[in-house]
Amino acid sequence: MSEKDRIKRLLKEAEIYRTQGLLSDSKAKYLETLSLVGKDGLLSKNQQLVDGIKSKIRAVEKALRELSERPDKPELTQDMQKLIKKLFTFSHTKEAAAIEGAVALAKFGQYDQALNEFHLLLEQGILPVVTAKNIVRCYVAQRKPEAAAEQFAKWLTRDIFSFDELKQLRTFIKGAMQKEGIEVKLAEVTARPRKAARAKRTEEMFLEISAISIHLQGGTLKDQTFDFEVQFQSANTVTVHLPSSRKEVADFLAPGTRLDDIQCYSPITVFRSSGTVAGTATIKHGPKQGDYTLDITIDAD
Amino acid sequence: MAIFNAKDRIIECKLVYYGPGRGGKTTNLEYIFKAFNKNASAEMVSINTMGDRTLFFDFLPMGLGKIRGCEVKIQLYTVPGQARYRSTRKMVLKGVDGVVFVADSLDVRRKANLLSLKDLAENLKDEGKNVFQIPLVLQYNKRDLAEQGIPLLPVDIMNKDLNSKLKAPFFEASALKGNGVGATLKQALLLTLRQLQKELQWTK
Repeated sequence: MSEKDRIKRLLKEAEIYRTQGLLSDSKAKYLETLSLVGKDGLLSKNQQLVDGIKSKIRAVEKALRELSERPDKPELTQDMQKLIKKLFTFSHTKEAAAIEGAVALAKFGQYDQALNEFHLLLEQGILPVVTAKNIVRCYVAQRKPEAAAEQFAKWLTRDIFSFDELKQLRTFIKGAMQKEGIEVKLAEVTARPRKAARAKRTEEMFLEISAISIHLQGGTLKDQTFDFEVQFQSANTVTVHLPSSRKEVADFLAPGTRLDDIQCYSPITVFRSSGTVAGTATIKHGPKQGDYTLDITIDAD
Repeated sequence: MAIFNAKDRIIECKLVYYGPGRGGKTTNLEYIFKAFNKNASAEMVSINTMGDRTLFFDFLPMGLGKIRGCEVKIQLYTVPGQARYRSTRKMVLKGVDGVVFVADSLDVRRKANLLSLKDLAENLKDEGKNVFQIPLVLQYNKRDLAEQGIPLLPVDIMNKDLNSKLKAPFFEASALKGNGVGATLKQALLLTLRQLQKELQWTK
């Protein structure tokens, strides 16, 4: 192949990559072409060719600059935000779905709307610690440590959280900020008498768990990890299914067995916990006859 | 995760098109929307910026009609492929039932394919899922560029890179021209519905 043909081919490649949106690859090919032209005694004197390639490089560099300057996650329309909430909410309970919707907005960078919704949920007393942590996450994502500190100071004067919860939140905020390399001054949590008792919830609210992963630390199945999808949940007890072929696992996970390492997957967060096997049963009828169901009670924090 | 309404006999499942940036995920969905318009239960939604890069996701709901006595509905999604949108990809993967991995056949995108597949495996793991167990089809897109003399990765090299352990079905394609798009989708749906039958016993 002659040098001229090689250059033609490289230019074609560069142009295809540019139209494909592969701007870095396009720039690399144009630079390779320019270098090749520079090494050719005849072609290097073709100023029109050289200027043409340089112009292409400048155009690609401009496009690359514009791309890097675009906001990562621009604010979307209300309709789009509603669609996001609709498509990315999987929880069945109203409260968990409300939190999950707001979390989805935050994950898609719609922090302002997410904050509006989290603040409302906090006022309604829905999973206050989880909601508060998400409020903090939004401020951290927006690089607004002073807003998070201000918010925390407000929470100290209100009657939403217990003393222990406030300490937990303070630790969480410090950790979240440190992770991002942000320094922030936070008010101290001091014990104070409650103005009024918090309204007692009739049912302990527990996160909806969609799957669990149990890592066994002792016994015959030591160091093995078993993944389960949650079939059913009542408060903090989840029911999972085990095929009949895993009898040794069913025998190992007898009622009363302590599980010290459980990874819980919820639509809004993933967390580590521990628990106890509350019960096992063999399925007696239907397509899953012979399989097992296990009830596992996750320790509430 | 799939929703099965046993009373009304409706099953709804989610298929996500994954892969490196600029690989053709959105082009796949655009072709599907155009070609199978009568099956689309709503317009295709694309959340992107000026230009044609997917910023958040594309979404296309479709109805497949009755299969074995059950009304089957699918939601097709694409993810943004650029490395910096990892958290968005994780969100879109929530509840996924099947995956189409759209690999870019361009030689210069070899590394990008590998990184994207690794990203998929990690994100699935964070969701409590396994890339070796989820219904998965590979698509080797942009095969038409060979006609223009652009260096492409041979299919056997792409299989060696991406499919030596997965052993998933794979299809050569040109999403721009529509070649291989339907076949990819059909196989992905077959695998996904088969898996859901095992889990949910949805057929009569």
